[in-house]
Amino acid sequence: MKEKTPLLQRDGTRSVLASLISILIGLAAGALVVFLVGLFNKSMSVKSAWEGIRLIFLGLFSTGRSASGSLSFGFNPVTFGNMLFRATPLILTGLSVAVAYKTGLFNIGAPGQYLAGTAATLFIALEIPSSSVPAWLIWILAFLGGMIAGAVWGAVPGMLKAFLNINEVLACIMTNWISANLVTWMFDVSNLKNTVENTKTAYIYKTSFNGVQTPKMLLDKIFPGSQVNGGIIIAILLAVLMYIVFTKTTFGYELKACGANRHAARYAGIKDKRSIVLSMAIAGAMAGAGASLYWLAGNTEFYWSTYQSLPATGFNGIPVALLAVCNPIAVIFTGMFMSMLDIAGQQLTALTAYNEYITDVIISVIVYLSAFSLVIKLWLGGKAKKTAGPKPDANAEDPAPAVKTAANGKEAGE
Amino acid sequence: MEQQTSEYVIEMLHITKEFPGIKANDDITLQLRKGEIHALLGENGAGKSTLMSVLFGLYQPEQGEIRKNGQPVKIASPNDATALHIGMVHQHFKLVDVFTVLDNIILGAEDTKLGFLQKKDARAKVKALSEQYGLHVDLDAKVEDITVGMQQRTEILKMLYRDNEILIFDEPTAVLTPQEIEELMQIMRNLAAEGKSILFISHKLNEIMEVSDRVTVLRKGKYVGTIDTAGTTKEELSRMMVGRPVQLVVDKVPARPKEAVLTVEGLTVPSKVHKHDAVKNVSFTAHAGEIVCIAGIDGNGQTEFVQALTGLEKASAGRIELCGHDITHQSIRSRSQTGMSHIPEDRHKHGLVLDFTLEQNMVLQRYYEPQFQNHGFIRFGEVRSYAEKLIEQYDVRSGQGPVTVARSMSGGNQQKAIVAREIDRDLPLIVAVQPTRGLDVGAIEYIHKQLVAQRDAGKAVLLVSLELDEVMNLSDRILVMYEGEIVGELDPKKTTVEELGLYMAGAKRQGKERESA
Repeated sequence: MKEKTPLLQRDGTRSVLASLISILIGLAAGALVVFLVGLFNKSMSVKSAWEGIRLIFLGLFSTGRSASGSLSFGFNPVTFGNMLFRATPLILTGLSVAVAYKTGLFNIGAPGQYLAGTAATLFIALEIPSSSVPAWLIWILAFLGGMIAGAVWGAVPGMLKAFLNINEVLACIMTNWISANLVTWMFDVSNLKNTVENTKTAYIYKTSFNGVQTPKMLLDKIFPGSQVNGGIIIAILLAVLMYIVFTKTTFGYELKACGANRHAARYAGIKDKRSIVLSMAIAGAMAGAGASLYWLAGNTEFYWSTYQSLPATGFNGIPVALLAVCNPIAVIFTGMFMSMLDIAGQQLTALTAYNEYITDVIISVIVYLSAFSLVIKLWLGGKAKKTAGPKPDANAEDPAPAVKTAANGKEAGE
Repeated sequence: MEQQTSEYVIEMLHITKEFPGIKANDDITLQLRKGEIHALLGENGAGKSTLMSVLFGLYQPEQGEIRKNGQPVKIASPNDATALHIGMVHQHFKLVDVFTVLDNIILGAEDTKLGFLQKKDARAKVKALSEQYGLHVDLDAKVEDITVGMQQRTEILKMLYRDNEILIFDEPTAVLTPQEIEELMQIMRNLAAEGKSILFISHKLNEIMEVSDRVTVLRKGKYVGTIDTAGTTKEELSRMMVGRPVQLVVDKVPARPKEAVLTVEGLTVPSKVHKHDAVKNVSFTAHAGEIVCIAGIDGNGQTEFVQALTGLEKASAGRIELCGHDITHQSIRSRSQTGMSHIPEDRHKHGLVLDFTLEQNMVLQRYYEPQFQNHGFIRFGEVRSYAEKLIEQYDVRSGQGPVTVARSMSGGNQQKAIVAREIDRDLPLIVAVQPTRGLDVGAIEYIHKQLVAQRDAGKAVLLVSLELDEVMNLSDRILVMYEGEIVGELDPKKTTVEELGLYMAGAKRQGKERESA
């Protein structure tokens, strides 16, 4: 069947196009804001508005200003590497939301799971003395610890859903805040507060303080001067792993069956409660891994007083997953795209009179649109969907070959 | 509005509706007289549902015209149909599971005062309707907690509540008990007598013969003819519908029961809706090579019994032995592996994962077997060829073969897929719960033949059915369940439908009297 379907009519192609359309509209909206701000601000000229628009689309390739003062573009290893570094946790929180969604669950608890992973990772990475335990072992323990903490934190709403039929969204919202307060309290009473650079308050040591850091895996040679490290490779491997688990294995089949129809899954002897808990635990493990990889980079400090705000990385997993239509492989690219917007925002701040909040506008437009990506997808499906989709009752009784040829003919014609 | 004298309240003239690759309706004419009961007869996929969707504004026909009282009308959406007082009880219920029965009935037609719901009058009206027509429902029960039969009654009440003039019943009797069907027939006659016009979609010949005034027959999207019911026979109708003579009663040789396959002793299952037990102290044995039927009116504990038997719910007392193994406390999976296949009552809820493809559904009970997986990785090639084999062997028709999404298949083919999957597992016990619910005569004939063939191959078949015809035709032994108890064991060759009805209604019982809980 598949090789007969024209490229443009494939479900996957439509998903990609739908996401691209969302992204383009989002970028266009950002450009419009830049233009309007430039228009009504006396200190800005049309030229600076045009520069802003160009940076929104090409921020990743910005190399600063040339001697003549105009913007220059090209391959910039620093921004590129930083983009990959920032994409790492986004890819993983995106995976967290995506895999839960594939099993019929909406994991809005990624921020809480991310924080749980943060706490476990930082405690393990900083509390085990690298003088007596090799740093690579501490790194592995910290990474696994972060994943497990995230998994446990994800399993809680999973269990509430499975055994007490409590909506996972409500449970996740609550576990998010429980996590935020718990983490704040844990670090508040800990001895990990950064006392060396005491101009800063409420920060925790970087893991590199204890000599624990994610290996660069040669990426620093490709992107010299940037923050990138091997974490991005681990994130990509985890995405591929999730893709394999959910499309190729009986385990993934069970989880998806359970998500699509819990009753039928039970009827077929699948342990539905176990599946729901496991789905959420896997989702939590992904968010926890995102946190681990972010902090184990060792070049960022954790601001521990989180009780008033949840990490945006957790919530940004939602648009990352939705833009990817919950395909784990696509999550890699949408995660990178979201972090690219971040970079574009930095460039706006650095090179023009605009600030990075423009990118928040873009992200929010895309978030809205990504919720519509299914609608866009159906619209791309066009008439074929409209007419053939809902009423195959009639088709069903006709000899299959006739339907097939006719359907193919129709698709080719479009 | 000018004077019109059409004798027809609704006319659908030369309707043609095409879908890619198929004319679902090809030049179909249907004329409904005021105050008549007009049956629309056809197999699954004959185009009945499409035609009704056109009338209901869900589809726009490519050709043809709809007239009401002789005036051409345009029905562009269900709202237009509602404005013309056309109401429909759908084949698949359109109910909100988590709403109460009353809320479902008034949904979309609520009385409000200052934005607040006024349910008092609605409640009184619904109560009056339900008493008037004997459509008993618990107005405050949530739809997800009530039986399929009661959901159907809710649907019918919904339509009656809206004072519709033209009433479309889309296979309304599929899940009703014989008594309820009788009552419904009476309701339909009353409604017609009051001047309402009824379109009755069905493929149950008995009902059509009994209640309708005229019949329009469709076959494969084409109009076959319209005839007066009084001047025709069941055989003629089934020939018109299927296009060939149909065997209405399946041929079978006398059963030769062998060893016991399933032994149930004193099985008791608590009810979820009330404090009493839904199944009380049920004991029986099913042998290899026989079809044992559990007959009874819907809601007498059959559902709970099957759930306890298959492991979906827990029994509070009793013992179940399958092929010599005590499975009373076994999991669903291990019961299934011990030798039980299960054609479930609700094909959408339990039988299929509707958003999965046909091939994924075909291996729903077997995906973990070595044939279909290798170290936890699905063997897609095996799955595909197995699904293709079943599709071929059991003639499951669908738009795209193995990769068709189950949701898009017709009800009859969905059921065929489940029957194929369960029978092909080749296990000693087949639990078949209403296996022909909502199917047309051709499909029923097919499934009945399959079940008899399984019996002859030495399987024990436990049939749970509400259809008296099916019970009488198919079973070798009948166990009648009434209020959770087996009140009689009958031999279909030595009993009559009337006697069976008395047992089912609780008016008669065998053996020692048990105290009722």
